[in-house]
Amino acid sequence: MRRLSDFTSGRQDIEPFTRDRDDVSPQSMRSIDGGFLSRLLVPQWLKRRAITVEIATPQTAYALGAQIPFEVTMKNRLPVPVTLTTRSPVLWTWTVDGLTEASHVELRDPPDETGEFSFSRGERKRFSGRWTQKFRVARREWEPATPGEYTLGASINVDTAEQDAVGDETTVRLVPE
Amino acid sequence: MALLEVEDLTVNFYTEEGVVTAADEVSYRVERGEKFGIVGESGAGKSVTSMSLMRLIEDPGRIESGEIRFKGEDILEMSETEVRELRGNEIAMIFQDAQTALNPVFTVGEQISEAIRHNLGYDDDKARERTIRLLDEVGIPEAEARYSDYPHEFSGGMQQRAVIAMALSCDPDLLIADEPTTALDVTIEAKILDQIEELAEEFDTAIQLITHDLGVIAKVCDRVMVMYAGKPVEKAAAEELFYDPKHPYTVGLMSSIPRIGDTRDRLQTIPGTMPDLVDVPTGCSFHPRCPYAEAACTRKEPKPVDPDTGMDATGTDADRAAACLAYTGDLAGELDYTVEVQGEDPRLQLGDHRE
Repeated sequence: MRRLSDFTSGRQDIEPFTRDRDDVSPQSMRSIDGGFLSRLLVPQWLKRRAITVEIATPQTAYALGAQIPFEVTMKNRLPVPVTLTTRSPVLWTWTVDGLTEASHVELRDPPDETGEFSFSRGERKRFSGRWTQKFRVARREWEPATPGEYTLGASINVDTAEQDAVGDETTVRLVPE
Repeated sequence: MALLEVEDLTVNFYTEEGVVTAADEVSYRVERGEKFGIVGESGAGKSVTSMSLMRLIEDPGRIESGEIRFKGEDILEMSETEVRELRGNEIAMIFQDAQTALNPVFTVGEQISEAIRHNLGYDDDKARERTIRLLDEVGIPEAEARYSDYPHEFSGGMQQRAVIAMALSCDPDLLIADEPTTALDVTIEAKILDQIEELAEEFDTAIQLITHDLGVIAKVCDRVMVMYAGKPVEKAAAEELFYDPKHPYTVGLMSSIPRIGDTRDRLQTIPGTMPDLVDVPTGCSFHPRCPYAEAACTRKEPKPVDPDTGMDATGTDADRAAACLAYTGDLAGELDYTVEVQGEDPRLQLGDHRE
């Protein structure tokens, strides 16, 4: 068993408030900026593979007109912090049949700059939302969805080619009452 | 030309949960010397709208579109140096919580003097003199002795007065008062409001008053904008708003004001809460809480229109506007409410007359 004396052996004094050259370097190494190191050392492709996205609804079939709640869970599988660079400050989006926020019209015009989506080591983030079974067809107009099967998706807003890697889909059925 | 014109202002916050549209196509104007009120529940976008005027929106917020014209110049196009010149000098703000607005490690007098020295170029002695006069004007007793007090040595009401003195120190043309009396008790509230009004008249300053208290609006304002979920839902002259509200939300706000002598067992409230701005309801944002909502309200978002003519009233010039489908012919039913005025209008008793 190691004793306290093992750690202090070889030192001339262990009095408090006495300066020792050896004290300096170990103390400054105690805290490591994991986020900074991760940015430097973990490649972008690995970061994307580290983050998993899941979308789930409580049921698979809903009566026509009912609200459909969904939960999006994102998890960092790596034991180090991970920051994904997104295409815009919009970090993630949800879709219905590929339409962002179930809208046929472009809703947002985000600034032309990238965003950063940060995850602590092993962090799990949960977001909830709901689809009201309506599609936005104009800036101020919505139309109800017809019975049938719809695909709800959620993905982190990274390059389109790699979006599948950080996205997920689920299907729901709308049935007439 | 109005002193301030805000046109189609949209402010988004890019959060992890999603995009929060805190101000959505907000348009209004404030004339010189006018007292303009913005009213709504917490989270309606009142403060964000006002912070935008001084470009004080912090990350992850972005002023995404619109124009804010102050004396004809677009604040959003100005350089940071130009905006700094404007802040405190021409547009001043009274913040909601005076205690946090004041720096605890500087004396109250020094903080006010600093603003005067910076904005008006006064020397130390003159700035001190002006500060003492201002402290006296806002009702701080023994202003000269209090000059050297630290904020913690002031009571809540005195701190608020000090912040008002600071805001008025450079004779601004526009004073933004963001819930200036929320943290104060009602007796102090009445005094502070009187003081803001008097001082604004004395200095010929326009006021943009943000509050969730309709009583404060009635007392101070000439014109009012009611906001809900980041959108303006009604605009009217203060008197019109109280005697003839047009939007169901305004009606709900009014019916939830407690009255002395009211015989009802329970206070009438607006059911539900303000929606999460990440997930605003489809159609009219107010429809889940509206007693007059129909299917059309879930499918169509109403634009602000003139309630009498149904004509578009989205611009800055509109004095009367309500964003409800009842005024665009899209509702089958009608807004079935009446406004009862009980007792005499106290303003009439004071010798005023209504047109």
